[in-house]
Amino acid sequence: MKMLTLILAGLIVLAYGCYQPHDSRIHVRDEIRPDTLGGNIVTRPVARAFSDLIGQGIVITNALLTTNDGGLRELHVSGFNQSYRTKRFRYRVEWLDESGLLVETKTSVWLSMSAMGNSPFSFKAVAPRPEAVNFRMDTRKWE
Amino acid sequence: MKARILQFLTLVGILIAGCAQETVNIDVMHDEGKPVIALDYRDFDRAASRLVQSLLASGALKKEGGGRSIVAKGRIVNDTMQRIDTDQLMSKIEIEILRSGQAVMTRAVGTDADKLIREGRELRDDEEFDQSTIPERGTLQAFDFSIKGKIFQRNIRYDKNRQQVEYYFQLMLSNSVTGLTYWQDEVFVGKRGSNKSVAW
Repeated sequence: MKMLTLILAGLIVLAYGCYQPHDSRIHVRDEIRPDTLGGNIVTRPVARAFSDLIGQGIVITNALLTTNDGGLRELHVSGFNQSYRTKRFRYRVEWLDESGLLVETKTSVWLSMSAMGNSPFSFKAVAPRPEAVNFRMDTRKWE
Repeated sequence: MKARILQFLTLVGILIAGCAQETVNIDVMHDEGKPVIALDYRDFDRAASRLVQSLLASGALKKEGGGRSIVAKGRIVNDTMQRIDTDQLMSKIEIEILRSGQAVMTRAVGTDADKLIREGRELRDDEEFDQSTIPERGTLQAFDFSIKGKIFQRNIRYDKNRQQVEYYFQLMLSNSVTGLTYWQDEVFVGKRGSNKSVAW
């Protein structure tokens, strides 16, 4: 039994040694890419259970405001789903003018987004009018 | 005996009244109601929001040399099994096109043409009207773009007990002079639910 455990541990270490990190712009998911120390048939269930236990979820890594050719602001939001499970959520972007007052628009509704486990995600929102220069965004669970 | 029956019926009546579902107003800002298999206002809101954002981001409405483009509303086909007033979608889109400052809508022509615009011009020889208040010839403006679209539905048997209902919202913007389509997009809304739910 002790021998079997040693062989298994040795195989895991060897497999990890063979793993070649690829271009960071390309995301190759677990169970498709070669196994790693933290993501193989033995450690994967443990890692997933731990992820659920500590309640991992999505994090927003960047929110960038640009102006398009039509003079309207565009909000580019990037994030990462740290959980092993797909996270479905809704977001709503509200636009504000220079004074910080709300710009009324029919486009400020709860829109859906889905991010697969351990994966990056991004979405874009477009301001309805040129006077919308800032924003605030809210999120909630997808019912 | 009669009194007993009366008491029993009163009790049943009170219980039934207690179980009745009360009517509540929908909190449209944060509606946490369950989704329904048919299209509801939330689906139209989301579809309109995505289509408007796509249209505004495309810059297709922008007029070269400044000013606002003129857009005429074409036909929006309802090819679903539901009785839909397509204005539920188009009204939101038109409002946002107007508010964007990039374009104006015309009611002189199109499926939503305002008859009164023409009728007002038919009063030119009517002595009952002050002729200086009648629009002159050649004052109506032709449109730069026309917008048309379609909403259609597909019902698919998902498994023994469930169905999949797919809704597609399509819109396209074409240039009236060249006939070329400058913008086109589609929003998909998919739902899975019981076979017993009716999608019309």
